[in-house]
Amino acid sequence: MKQLGTLLFICFTAFILVACNSNNAVDSNESANNSNSEDNVNSEDGGKFEPTQSIEVVAPGGAGGGWDTTAREVVKTFGETGIIDSNMAVINKEGGGGAIAWAYIHKKDDSPYNLFVSSPPIMFVPLNGQSDYGHEDFTPLSNMIADYAAFAVNADSEYNDLNELFAAMKEDPESVTVIGASAPGSMDHIQFIRIAKAAGVDVKKVKYVSDQDGGALTSLLNGSVDVYSTGVAETVEQVRAGNIKVLGITAEERLEGDVLSDFPTAIEQGIDETFVNWRGFFGPPNMDQAAIEYYEEKFQELSDSEEFAEIRKKYGWNEMYLNHEEYTQFLDEEKEEIQTLLDEVGLGN
Amino acid sequence: MDSFQGLLSGFQVALSFEGIMFVLIGVVVGTLIGMMPGLGPISAIAIMIPLTYGMNPAPALVMMAGVYYGAVFGGSTSSILLNAPGISGTVASSFDGYPMAQKGQAGKALAIAAISSFIGGTVSVLLLMLLAPALSSVAISFGPPAYFALMLMGLTAISSLSEGSTTKALISAVTGFMVVTIGIDPQTGTQRFTFGNVNLLDGFDFLIIALGLFAIAEVCMLVLNRKNRSLSDSQKLGSLKLSKADFKEMSGPVSRQSFVGFILGVLPGAGATIASFISYIFEKKLSKNPEEFGKGSIKGLAAPESSNNAATSGAFVPLLSLGIPGSGTTAVMLGAFLVLGVQPGPLLMADRPEIFWGIIASMYIGNVFLLVLNLPLIPYLAKILSIPRPLLISLVITFSLVGVYSISFNVFDLYMLLVFGIIGFLMRIYSFPAPPFILAFILGGMMEQSFRQSMTISNGNFNIFVCSPLPLTLLIIAFLSFSVPGILNWRRNRKNAKV
Repeated sequence: MKQLGTLLFICFTAFILVACNSNNAVDSNESANNSNSEDNVNSEDGGKFEPTQSIEVVAPGGAGGGWDTTAREVVKTFGETGIIDSNMAVINKEGGGGAIAWAYIHKKDDSPYNLFVSSPPIMFVPLNGQSDYGHEDFTPLSNMIADYAAFAVNADSEYNDLNELFAAMKEDPESVTVIGASAPGSMDHIQFIRIAKAAGVDVKKVKYVSDQDGGALTSLLNGSVDVYSTGVAETVEQVRAGNIKVLGITAEERLEGDVLSDFPTAIEQGIDETFVNWRGFFGPPNMDQAAIEYYEEKFQELSDSEEFAEIRKKYGWNEMYLNHEEYTQFLDEEKEEIQTLLDEVGLGN
Repeated sequence: MDSFQGLLSGFQVALSFEGIMFVLIGVVVGTLIGMMPGLGPISAIAIMIPLTYGMNPAPALVMMAGVYYGAVFGGSTSSILLNAPGISGTVASSFDGYPMAQKGQAGKALAIAAISSFIGGTVSVLLLMLLAPALSSVAISFGPPAYFALMLMGLTAISSLSEGSTTKALISAVTGFMVVTIGIDPQTGTQRFTFGNVNLLDGFDFLIIALGLFAIAEVCMLVLNRKNRSLSDSQKLGSLKLSKADFKEMSGPVSRQSFVGFILGVLPGAGATIASFISYIFEKKLSKNPEEFGKGSIKGLAAPESSNNAATSGAFVPLLSLGIPGSGTTAVMLGAFLVLGVQPGPLLMADRPEIFWGIIASMYIGNVFLLVLNLPLIPYLAKILSIPRPLLISLVITFSLVGVYSISFNVFDLYMLLVFGIIGFLMRIYSFPAPPFILAFILGGMMEQSFRQSMTISNGNFNIFVCSPLPLTLLIIAFLSFSVPGILNWRRNRKNAKV
């Protein structure tokens, strides 16, 4: 009995430890928020915002992912160029495809010191019912870069352009399997659906398989599936080696660069549709106008800098700067379009 | 350039002062990170990426690779000493490693783990060097139906992972299957058993379950069995020396499982964790005295240890020769390559031979470093066991909590660790075996996904599993491994009955 008592005691202590931990976290958040709101008052007096404490930039995914890379590169370049002097730190909040981080930032109401990096999943995840918060619950500050989707087939494939592929899909939708790394209703699926719909394919019948364990490209190479829906950068090396063919990309016009410039756009194949994998920075809800203006200006300066141009080149990103107003409008339009597509495929909520 | 010349140029990179220094840094950091329960190579590599900005790509990547296999090498230490797996690839090492330490053979267990790891690592680097170009076709030959058959083959081992009641083993395995379905279903995007809680959207991280069922449950047992601590053998280090007989016992499993581990490592998605389990099961099936497994068998420790290290080098085959990351860790490695301006893929060997061969050559040196560093450290590491028990227990709890917290910095995970700790403790008391739970959790997710992918591709036709040779072969093996022991048993029983 005595042993059991000790055991209970240990469990109890462990629970207390955990509980204290979370309490502390809440406390520190609250105190940070309090000081933030005081700062806001000050900044409103002067009409201009200047950061007086360190700025936290949340990457809603794990270390090494797309969000994390963007956040770290942007923060590093801000520091190196001196565009923002204040201390900036990247924090990873992983989980739920971003939902955990969004819930966290949403609590930082009106704080000008809590930014986060964002991209289309902030629309897909809430539209699929996996997050209570979407882009309209936050303050879009500036978009920075754009990526595009590519649709690839095996080098031996009978399809040589998008029209041949879509013609086959119109004839017998069951004969073509599309694979991507995200769940149905998310980016890799919807970017394909969007182009296919514009080409007149019955999108309800598109056969889409998701492989989230890194096996999507493998399945294309060994012939298990027919089409791989992914990002442009993921295809370059395999095209260079002659393993796959890129039938089309979703940019407005051809991209620049070795191999990249060979990829035909959907538009030039007569399919008038595009898809942008945009990436930019948001703040918490109700951010002060002075703070919005401050960040807009700083992000624009960064986007125009030579240093950031180097970084875009290193990762093969494209420039796509949008200020707060343009960004908000762009996002609203995108979301509406995605919602329509999801409804049509039968995945809308 | 042929392989031999390539390798020579690789050794030139690896044996330069810079090369040696960064291999050394990599393996030391890797070993330390591997020893800490919960901290794995993924976070280590991700943290190190910014440090390599502006470095020469070859030494930087050599260092990253060192962190990766160093962590798998070091991960067995805490599995053996504390029953708290350092990384997921070393869970199977605790099945026999921890009982050995309990019997007062901690030193021997650590030495066996180190030597098996070394041999597994070296054999697989050799295979990587000779076969990387050829094996890249093996890596892509596995489509969804073949993966399903492979996972099924792994699952037939549930019966052999259990001591005593088969019913209890099956209950444990089914529970593992149920737990793995929690989260967003990748094939439809719907939520399963999340009860609207955002923290459950991604399901449970493997380490939460492993640390809960093993480390926390073990702590509870230690507290319950407080009485006999005074004469505990486990505080003894035991002799470090391996006898000739020990070596002889190790030689079979190590030589076989180095190959098995390598091949499973080559397959994208399989990796060190699955390899270590399959190797453990494989050796148990082959063994003449399977009843020793789980009670401190040398073979049971040597098999997963050689296999998980071999799988680590195997994972470099699809990464280097195809540019396909087969696991979370290699995906982050791929990111590290890209940051340094190196694109792994079919053209890497021709375009940047110094990097391709440099990494391979550095692995030989890295494995030697690991052995030389780890063997002399064993007596000091094993001293952990002579820490007074109350302190040790608090340490295990602290390490487990810190480790789980560092997965995604989410307090919710800590509560779940405790919940699984309590489940593990109850399972121990009522003698439900934990390994089938873990095995089902590891294989179940991938098995379900590959099954459903196959069904979508074939429009719901089951022929897809039997109409191509690879999945068919694997299914036949799975069927045999499931049925043969049963038939043999039945015949033996009938014979006994007649006598």
